[in-house]
Amino acid sequence: MRAEIEKIQQMMEAADYVTDPAIATSVHLAMTLKKPLLIEGHAGVGKTEIAKVMARMLGANLIRLQCYEGLDAAQALYEWNYPKQLLHIKLEESTTHSLREKEATIFSEPFLIRRPLLQAISQDGKPPVLLIDEVDRADEEFEAFLLEVLSEFQVTIPEVGTIKATHPPYVILTSNRVRELSDALRRRCLYLWVDFPGFDKEVRIVTRKVPGVNEALARQISRFMESLRAIRLSKVPGVAETLDWAQALASLHADHIDEELVLETLGCVLKDADDLKRFKRELTTNGLKRFVAAEG
Amino acid sequence: MVTARNLSTAVLRFGQMLRASGMPLTVGELMDGVRALDAVDVLDRQDVYLALRTTLAARYEEFPIFDRCFEAFWRFQAEEGQGLEGLTTPASPAIPEEHSEGSGPEAAQKKVSVALEGWEEEGEDDGEPLEVPGVSEKEILMDQDFSAFPVEDLDEVARLTILIAKRLARRISRRRRPTRRGGVIDIRRSMRANLMKGEIIELRRRERRRRKVRLVLLCDVSGSMDLYSRFLLQFLYALQNVFGRVETFTFSTRLTRVTEHLKGASYRQALARLTEVRDFSGGTRIGESLQEFNARWGNLVNRHTIVLVLSDGWDTGEPDVLANEMLTLKRKAGRVIWLNPLLGNPSYEPLTRGMAAALPLVDHFAAAHNLASLRDLAGHLNLR
Repeated sequence: MRAEIEKIQQMMEAADYVTDPAIATSVHLAMTLKKPLLIEGHAGVGKTEIAKVMARMLGANLIRLQCYEGLDAAQALYEWNYPKQLLHIKLEESTTHSLREKEATIFSEPFLIRRPLLQAISQDGKPPVLLIDEVDRADEEFEAFLLEVLSEFQVTIPEVGTIKATHPPYVILTSNRVRELSDALRRRCLYLWVDFPGFDKEVRIVTRKVPGVNEALARQISRFMESLRAIRLSKVPGVAETLDWAQALASLHADHIDEELVLETLGCVLKDADDLKRFKRELTTNGLKRFVAAEG
Repeated sequence: MVTARNLSTAVLRFGQMLRASGMPLTVGELMDGVRALDAVDVLDRQDVYLALRTTLAARYEEFPIFDRCFEAFWRFQAEEGQGLEGLTTPASPAIPEEHSEGSGPEAAQKKVSVALEGWEEEGEDDGEPLEVPGVSEKEILMDQDFSAFPVEDLDEVARLTILIAKRLARRISRRRRPTRRGGVIDIRRSMRANLMKGEIIELRRRERRRRKVRLVLLCDVSGSMDLYSRFLLQFLYALQNVFGRVETFTFSTRLTRVTEHLKGASYRQALARLTEVRDFSGGTRIGESLQEFNARWGNLVNRHTIVLVLSDGWDTGEPDVLANEMLTLKRKAGRVIWLNPLLGNPSYEPLTRGMAAALPLVDHFAAAHNLASLRDLAGHLNLR
């Protein structure tokens, strides 16, 4: 393995992110090739975390754009500060400034609200990390707009002129696949798929992140999660759920899992009524052994 | 020695192989692939693998193709006893497995984002009412069951299907144009318009964008359903401009996603593919197919989605499973429509166990067995 990748892996681990070669390699490539990195995977596997860790690692600013239905350029790029403009017009009412002068004033920098994309482009000094979170929630039209911004890293504001990034940001996009993203966007980005962690990785994550949990319990928890994900659930629990649960078990001072404990704390892991029912049925027919067996 | 030149040739050849296997790579991606190898240890297999996968693959579903090709490419190099140094040898490894339809990269290249042949083009249209121009012969066509046409007439019927769909598309988009005043206030333009007035007196408005409806099609391609599925697909794909997205799956005993296939080829090829994915083991496991759909593709469905299931409801699986999965679908989707061509037969009653289980969970139940019923279906393809 290339030394740089190894180093990134170590730095990510040092920043409390348990990682693997695939993640480290794609982060390394995103930084050296200066290409946006699209990260997909199930909910709760730590996609967003990668951007945060990257920013921490680089000592850079993290600028986050949370996507949602109906997100448009005014929310993502820039907007004029209308209340301030109104006030200004009101104050200037009695002056003799011409229309042209008034217009030039209220459509100038001090009246501009910089939204995340513009912030990321116009930042001086160190390039920031731009996190475009859950891009699949935004509409197709926004995706096209985003593509344009990401390929040029420049924005034209009619009243102000063109702003071009002196230090293009590192861009991380995440998607939960609520909607299929366009091929144009996909092929423009580097791609990383983050799967549920395997048993060993999950044990490492738990022991790392939840201090009150010993190795043996962490192994039980991870084995349980692994077999839980194998049954058909409508909302498959991610790493976030594992950690919540481990935290709960730790605060109950548990050192092993038993049926009663599982039933008491199950709400941390399964958050859908049907899933709960299904699991309980499974538990009464097969017992807890099915979920924590095969140790040792 | 591994030179930079050798490496880029190798990446380009690997890229050709991927394209021939159906991955629509761009030149930009290949260039990134070359640059990526510069940033990793090219003598470390895992490094090379991850670097190329990160740059060249663009979705999880492409990983199997990528893996297969990478395996073949790497083995080929190893067998030649050349390791990476021999990457520039002129011979090319065979493309792995079955999927080399068309030949070479040109064929695959051509596939990229070409819409289904002729389905999107603007046909001449005089904007006449929807009925196929007053020829009585054609009116008979409208009501004839698809299965009753002789094989040699099917092309003509397909052409008619597309014609009708195009007219409908125009009508539907016309209906979308907002008629009332209103929409949201455009502050930016209001501000400009009122610059000298000191306050906002005159409001400027802009229309709120309308959301396009998405379609998910689940087509039964077992036995007699195959023909109806084809016509439904032709009809809906000709309508696709009106919709945000059309996702297509076929099922008989198992579920297959064919959206990508339909995108690539001409519609004749596309329909031929439908036959390829059909398995003749007999019987239809609708419940299990829906279960697989919900588990793997459930996130394609939300309240802006209309789900269309085309099937005669002959389910050899458990009706409970079917009912359960239909319920899941109904909860998530904006609308669930079940199309059963047998409904075109006046004496038909939906008594099969599967049909009986599914029926209470369906928003609209229709036939889709002839041109007239397809035309009527268009009226139900909205969310209100």
